[in-house]
Amino acid sequence: MAGGKELTVITFRGIFQEVEEARGMYSDGYRDQSAVVALDGGDMKEMGVEAGHPVHLETASGDVVVAAKLSEEAHPGVAFMPASPWSAQLLSGEVGEDGFLELKMFTVRASSGGGRVTSIEEIEAVIRAP
Amino acid sequence: MAFCTGCSLLCDDIVVDLDGGKIGKTMNLCRKGHAHYSSISSGRLTPSVDGSEVGVEDAMMAAAEVLAGADNPLLFGWGGSTLEAQRAGVDLAKKLGGAIDDPSSYSQGLITEKIIAGDLPTCTLDDVRNFADVSIYWGDDPSSSHPRHMSRFSYFPRGEKRQRGYEEDREAIVIDVRKSPTAQIAADGFFKITPGGDGAFIEALVASLAGKIPKVEDKKRMLNLGTKLRKAKFGAIFTGQGLAHSLRGDLSGFVSLVGKLSEITRFSVIPTLGDYNTRGFNQTLFDETGHVNSVTFKDGVRHGQEFSIARLLDSCDAVMVVGSDPAAALPAAIAKKLAKAVTVAIGSHRNMTTDFAKVSVPMAVAGIEAGGSCLRTDGVRVEFDGLVGSDHLSDVDIIKRIMEAV
Repeated sequence: MAGGKELTVITFRGIFQEVEEARGMYSDGYRDQSAVVALDGGDMKEMGVEAGHPVHLETASGDVVVAAKLSEEAHPGVAFMPASPWSAQLLSGEVGEDGFLELKMFTVRASSGGGRVTSIEEIEAVIRAP
Repeated sequence: MAFCTGCSLLCDDIVVDLDGGKIGKTMNLCRKGHAHYSSISSGRLTPSVDGSEVGVEDAMMAAAEVLAGADNPLLFGWGGSTLEAQRAGVDLAKKLGGAIDDPSSYSQGLITEKIIAGDLPTCTLDDVRNFADVSIYWGDDPSSSHPRHMSRFSYFPRGEKRQRGYEEDREAIVIDVRKSPTAQIAADGFFKITPGGDGAFIEALVASLAGKIPKVEDKKRMLNLGTKLRKAKFGAIFTGQGLAHSLRGDLSGFVSLVGKLSEITRFSVIPTLGDYNTRGFNQTLFDETGHVNSVTFKDGVRHGQEFSIARLLDSCDAVMVVGSDPAAALPAAIAKKLAKAVTVAIGSHRNMTTDFAKVSVPMAVAGIEAGGSCLRTDGVRVEFDGLVGSDHLSDVDIIKRIMEAV
């Protein structure tokens, strides 16, 4: 990983995402609720990102483009992201020595831009790729 | 009254008007439950083999063929299945000499196992409604995940000994890394912790309960929390994935804290589980093997992380996923292994796992299109009937048909 701002990402589940998932995960509604990252206002300013703009998130395991969302509370250096196929692309998948699979917290490099928000079809294509 | 299988609260007060044999007007569903009920008319899975649509009988026979030809099959999912299907699934795993696991192996399985084994005290949600004066939501946001948790059971309702409800009789405490919707309700009862800071919070709270100065920034507030908990008449701790992942499988500090609270007053732990019958699977497998997940029946009964989906996808030669979508939830590196495995997916709706599967078998939605039984997140058994007719078989009928053909 190089460039961008290093952030600790915590995943969570939101009611509107849960609703859209029940309606169907291939819908625009599910993508809109899942492919987002809630950022601290100061971090957004530093990164030159505005609410609704694309943000490129990258780890050693993968990368996605999601939409930025301004958090109401301050949490510099920490970002919150719905647990979804988008956040799953960034997880290492390695089981720790304690036998635990990390799904809730990871470190990313975040930068402004990256094009349009990644679609679930593009995620499926990455998973299918050799 | 009908039930809602939209989450593990299994709300039993749903009013449904049937309009020409179809779901008409409904009452008492939360936003999530309403979406669950509405979902029966869209996005349904179709029977397929190698991407081509087939009859459901052909799909079930193809599934049986996959499993019969495997040396090390893994049967995964089950939280979105009835107790009857789970029981049949355990029997199928035994017959195949295969492994069986569920998402609790990477979420709250250890907490649930300690509750089922009696190592953590628990109670029912009805007890909470009637008696609890302090509810702690730890790494848990039921306002989002289980929208009627606080209104039916844990904070807002009047109860037998809590006639004045949240206004005077109840206190909500939220321990979380973010100000979640549940934390917003708790207002002054919100304790924000740093990511991964649950263990340190436990230590500080234990010190506070013992009357020692806690090693935290706001010592006064932590001491006040300790005093509040000491004075509680009936406390409940609702655990979420946030706590489970922060403690990374080491529950010793949490168990010790609950033990100290229990020496002072009554405190119970109830996990807030995701799928509607996660607790049922954990109980079913525990009754059979003494473990709630990650078990193989190859060469006897063995349990361990090596039999969890995260590890077993490296060595299993067939996977059957029932009522779950691990491809969407697990890290991409693991989802890639699942996509390359020979997979049978049984489910009600299309999802990423069914997209990757060699064989897909559609099933009825339990509680709406099919009857059955399950365990609420607190372990209370619930039985329900189907409300409307369906062209789809129930989950238990599918598992039993596959088992007959294996």
